[in-house]
Amino acid sequence: MTQTFETVNIGFTITGGKFSPTRETIREFCEASLDHNPLHLDDQYMKGSFGKTAFGGIIMHGMTHFGLMTKMLTEWLYPIGGIHRRLETRWLTPVKPGDTIQPSARVRQKKQTTHTNWIVLDLEMRNQRGELVARGESLAEFPPLEHSAKTK
Amino acid sequence: MSQPLHLTEKDFWKHQSVRKIWDQIVPGEPIETLPHTLSLEEIHRYCRAVGDLNPLYFDEAHARKSPYKGLIAPPTIHILLMFTCTPIDYYMRAPGTINAGQSWSYNIPARPGDTITLHARALDKFIRKDRLFVIHDNVFFNQHSQVICSGRGWTIRPE
Repeated sequence: MTQTFETVNIGFTITGGKFSPTRETIREFCEASLDHNPLHLDDQYMKGSFGKTAFGGIIMHGMTHFGLMTKMLTEWLYPIGGIHRRLETRWLTPVKPGDTIQPSARVRQKKQTTHTNWIVLDLEMRNQRGELVARGESLAEFPPLEHSAKTK
Repeated sequence: MSQPLHLTEKDFWKHQSVRKIWDQIVPGEPIETLPHTLSLEEIHRYCRAVGDLNPLYFDEAHARKSPYKGLIAPPTIHILLMFTCTPIDYYMRAPGTINAGQSWSYNIPARPGDTITLHARALDKFIRKDRLFVIHDNVFFNQHSQVICSGRGWTIRPE
């Protein structure tokens, strides 16, 4: 049965696909985003320290988390008429080539406002060791059917 | 016609001397931005880089039958637009800029062929745990002056 705002329960969890960044995928993201910051490209540069932070090698773009979390959310939402409205993330641990990361989201709250319906989700990104590497929160809108045409 | 420098330059060390450093960033002051016409090719290159091959982004026939009535870009296309809509001297390109967190709100999707404009500024700057932070305020519009998305970013500035 297709999920609706009414049938999605608090605690419902979705899991996204695993992603294993490599030097090639990071370079591909540089080309696709035009973000050629040496943090993602230059091993020699990354041997240095950045104030209090030393990375020891190139790192994946933080915004890749944004893309992967959004993919997970929109794959769930598009088919059931939900609209991805907001994503907030904090990056906790750098992700490096050789890591494998996987996002998940859990419904924390449902709320009806004057004109529409909202679902708040807590998001996590964990690596192959189970470590939390990014955390987030998102908001999905489920317009009442009579209003849905206006939202596009 | 050759592409403008901000779309082609991959060496972020070049032009570094003309970019504002933390000391010179004035919160509230609008930054110079450049309109950009978003191509289907750019959308697809971005989608492939994050492995997001949703038919709403790739399959015209599928997208036409959807509530979106045509191909759209994924919400996170703003990741690319941040660099297509800003000149080569924008300090977001400064090597060592560290992205500490972002929040984005999405209104309507961008579509292939849209001409996108960006209104952007630093909103705040502060020092915390000996690091130099800037809060960035960005809003993307389409050619009809409709908001596509708005975002707030935190970066740690290189010293």
